[in-house]
Amino acid sequence: MITGVGPQSSLIVSALGDMRSQLDDLQRQLGTGQKSTTYAGLGIDRGLAVGLQGQLSAMTGYADTVTQIGVRMSLQQTSLTRIADIGSAVKGATLTQFNIDASGQTATQRTATSQLDEILGLLNTPAGDRYLFSGRAGDTPATDTLDHILNGDGAKAGLKQIIAERNQADLGASGMGRLVTGVAGSQVNLAEETPPTVFGLKLASVSALNGATVTGPTGSPASISVNLTSNPNPGDAITFGFNLPDGTTQQLTLTATNSSPPAAGEFTIGATVNATAASLQASLTTAVQKLAATSLSAASAMAAANNFFNVDAGQPPMRVAGPPFDTATALVGGTAANTVIWYTGEMGTDPARGTAVAKVDDALTVSYGARANEQAIRSTIANIAVYATATFAASDPNAKDRFSALSERVGNALTAPNGQQKIQDIQAELAFAQTTVKDATQRQQQRKLMLENLLQGIEQAPQDQVAAQILALQTRLQASLQTTAALYKLSIINYL
Amino acid sequence: MGLAQALTSAVGGLRVTQSGLALVASNIANAETPGYVKKTAVQVAAASGDVTIGVRLSSINRELDQYLQRQLRTETSGGAYASTRTDFFQRLQGILGQPGADNALETVFNNFVSSAQALSTSPDSSAARYSLLTAGQTLAQHLNGMTADIQGLRSDAELGLADAVNQVNSAMRQIAAINRQLGQSSVQDATAASLQDQRDFYIDQLSQLMDIKVVATDHGKVNIFTRSGTQLVGDQASVMTFDPKGSLGATALWDSDPAKRGTGTIMLDSGSGSTTDLIAANAFGSGKIAALVEMRDHVLVDAQAQVDQIAAGMSRALSDRTVAGAAVTAGAQAGFDVDIGSLLAGNTINLAYTDTATNTQRQVTIVRIDDPGALPLPPGATPNPTDKVIGVDFSGGMAAIIAQINSALGSSGLQFSNTGGTTLRVLDSGAGGPVKIDALSTTVTTNVLTSGSAALPFFLDGAKPYSGALTAFGPQSLGFAGRITINPALLTDPSRLVVYQTSPLTAAADPTRPNFLLNQLTQGMLDFDPQAGVGTASAPFSGSLQSYIRQMISQQGEAAATADSLNQGQQVVVSSLQQRYADKSNVSIDEEMANLLKLQTAYGANARVLSAVRDMLDQLLKS
Repeated sequence: MITGVGPQSSLIVSALGDMRSQLDDLQRQLGTGQKSTTYAGLGIDRGLAVGLQGQLSAMTGYADTVTQIGVRMSLQQTSLTRIADIGSAVKGATLTQFNIDASGQTATQRTATSQLDEILGLLNTPAGDRYLFSGRAGDTPATDTLDHILNGDGAKAGLKQIIAERNQADLGASGMGRLVTGVAGSQVNLAEETPPTVFGLKLASVSALNGATVTGPTGSPASISVNLTSNPNPGDAITFGFNLPDGTTQQLTLTATNSSPPAAGEFTIGATVNATAASLQASLTTAVQKLAATSLSAASAMAAANNFFNVDAGQPPMRVAGPPFDTATALVGGTAANTVIWYTGEMGTDPARGTAVAKVDDALTVSYGARANEQAIRSTIANIAVYATATFAASDPNAKDRFSALSERVGNALTAPNGQQKIQDIQAELAFAQTTVKDATQRQQQRKLMLENLLQGIEQAPQDQVAAQILALQTRLQASLQTTAALYKLSIINYL
Repeated sequence: MGLAQALTSAVGGLRVTQSGLALVASNIANAETPGYVKKTAVQVAAASGDVTIGVRLSSINRELDQYLQRQLRTETSGGAYASTRTDFFQRLQGILGQPGADNALETVFNNFVSSAQALSTSPDSSAARYSLLTAGQTLAQHLNGMTADIQGLRSDAELGLADAVNQVNSAMRQIAAINRQLGQSSVQDATAASLQDQRDFYIDQLSQLMDIKVVATDHGKVNIFTRSGTQLVGDQASVMTFDPKGSLGATALWDSDPAKRGTGTIMLDSGSGSTTDLIAANAFGSGKIAALVEMRDHVLVDAQAQVDQIAAGMSRALSDRTVAGAAVTAGAQAGFDVDIGSLLAGNTINLAYTDTATNTQRQVTIVRIDDPGALPLPPGATPNPTDKVIGVDFSGGMAAIIAQINSALGSSGLQFSNTGGTTLRVLDSGAGGPVKIDALSTTVTTNVLTSGSAALPFFLDGAKPYSGALTAFGPQSLGFAGRITINPALLTDPSRLVVYQTSPLTAAADPTRPNFLLNQLTQGMLDFDPQAGVGTASAPFSGSLQSYIRQMISQQGEAAATADSLNQGQQVVVSSLQQRYADKSNVSIDEEMANLLKLQTAYGANARVLSAVRDMLDQLLKS
């Protein structure tokens, strides 16, 4: 059986059909702007097109990243600037006079409390749903609440309790800063407590005194002895040097006088060297007690706050091993069960910047992580917290001196010493990352434009050419159709 | 010579003219019939002695150029081959998607990478985690879909082969039948011509399906052979059989061994009881069948292997980690310890040592094998062309493992031992010995989410980890793209995209794992199996996933474009030959009309002679 359309017509029909489908394809190109619907039709550059698409897609990814981390870094910068400002403001406020109200605090102290709250707020402000000062723990706030930090949380001790315990430990039961004085004949002794303790005043130095043999500080626990061989002359003075828990030193000078009783900072030259020794011991005891109640108290609070806030991986908040606290001899690490851990973000000994790393170009990453327990931030908070929590009783004769000892220490500590991280250091590192990102973005914008042009050249159909081709093809198709029609008409049958 | 003679001649003339008219009518009627060849009548003067006594039709001629016909058949074969190929290549292109469009593999992959990028920027964002998982799922599904589509094409080829074999059989039967009919008559009359038309039509059909050799014999019969010379048709037709397997999967491959064969094959029963596997004999060089076989067994298998390589590369890039061995010494001997307890099937122990006699470095790859049927491993079991690959059956415990390694490598001067547990120790034979060990490591597929390593089993092979296991049935990569899924444990707990260890617990914004994912996807250098057709055995393709995809699309596009231009060229050849053939053999209506006029005139003239003879006879009788 022979069926179908014969070869003669089919040749013509297929030629016309080819033209028709070419026309359809050109129309598609004109409509979609795409040269081809398959990779085969893209020509030799199809591999390049795939590569370009990949690069462009990556660049879109980078652009998204840049937007995201741009917001994060500027938020970090804003927060850090404000924290540094608050640090300066509190530093300035420490210069004010001692003038307490009924609550036992000065107005500047109360301001400092709310400023501390503001700092915590800044550290806990999320960008989108990410906390920026929690290191790798972006889903948790960086710090506990102000109330918990200062006043504790149930069984967990807060800063105030830690400071109070440390105060007991540093002052000792007798309020002598864990020192003992004694006199035996013509010899006055000043010694650190036995058994040895890390708390209280530490003997650092002693000066000579006319007519006396001064030895020490020697031994462990250290002791100083002043053996009077003859009476000193009025005006002769002896100076004791002490190391305080916050690393500061303090001098205590006692001057010989003939008046009796001696004024503060003096001792009376007695009839015998033994009587002089007795007066020296008495004056020394009074002076040390005063020192303990003022400078040592302030230094103790500073040390306690440093220990409390200095937490990190493998570094628990250190507190006095007690109770009893006034006879405690060592520090012990607080646990999460008994001490508020103020920093709730991720801890680690690696650099904080490395906790958030963003890829902003094929071979360029920027690090912009931060932890609230970095030294600069931590010490700002610790210093302001000490200042904000100290209270004074109007009846306390040493209150004013303690206030000024504390103010001076906080004021000094708010300026980080050389070699220690400052808030500005963190800001500078972030600023460097910001600049890197900006440069990379500019480069990418240019590159993106170039790649897009290149890709268009490969994938896109040139509109004018396509239009011209359509015109040409249309003409050809019309001509073919007409000729075909004419050819078919041109048969002898029409003329028979 | 007499009136009676004139009468006879005129009647003969009328008869021949009538036959001529019938021929013209038949030519005109069949002008558009495929396979119809213009017929011309050959009339000769009937003579008795040297006296012409009338006219008769001696034969009906078919107006054709046999050389052209043979050439046309060869080219038709080529044309069918080229057009079937280009058809399949175009459909394969469709599977790869429209350049830059959402359905293109590259776009789906790029989206996955972008999501990884977003996650590395915000590891703690649950939106970013979900988006990576969704993109991963889309990618896995896309690969599954591509596999289904490619295998669908293979199934189409399989069905196409079944159809083609039926057509071949029917054509061969018809040709044989016509051969027998032609054998019965020795006259080239209208019947014979028409039979030959039909036969040529079937031969043309056959030549579209396969390349054949046509040899003419007596009585206008033909014998048909395959290109390798096996006779298909004489007076009897051979029978081809095809056992279609319905829908093919990626693991269903053609093999000359019927036990291993997952597809149909074409058997030729030549009637003498012997059967030949024509695909094994490589009997098809052109025509539709050759194209279908090539698609089903090579092009589409390669395309599948390439997609599998992408799936395998992606899976292993995210899940594999390399653990370096610890240097040890024992007396004067130095070497390394490595734990091989966590190796999965297909994971490797990589050893590099220097042969001190020639000062050349050698690499040994020891592959864990769980299916002893896969042993010994064929060369090229790893993409690395320079390493020595040893497959070791791990099922017998450490002692058996050491024994197998020693038997394979013992003569090199390397000493393997087990120092307890699953620790493998490799030692040299002391300073100045024949070898110096440079490095020892293992490549291990991570199969838990919180292993402490950034690597994770992001993708799974069904429910198993993908570790590139080698089995008797082929590598695990075979058809992996069709089975790849995202690890369901990640869908249950997306935080595992970030948390790589539970003690201490990884922080929520820890970028370690997201950065690893991103780096592996964009910059991880992988070695790809050259058997998939990208790269060669001596220089395997090594590059990022992105570059492999690019290479694959490039290669597929090039192949499709080449197939298309080949097809276009072939169609031009075929149509120009058809044109030439048609010029010679097709019915020209004008010519036929002219013939009709001539025949009308001749008929009138003969009739006139007849009537003149009658008048003359009348006159004769009346007088």
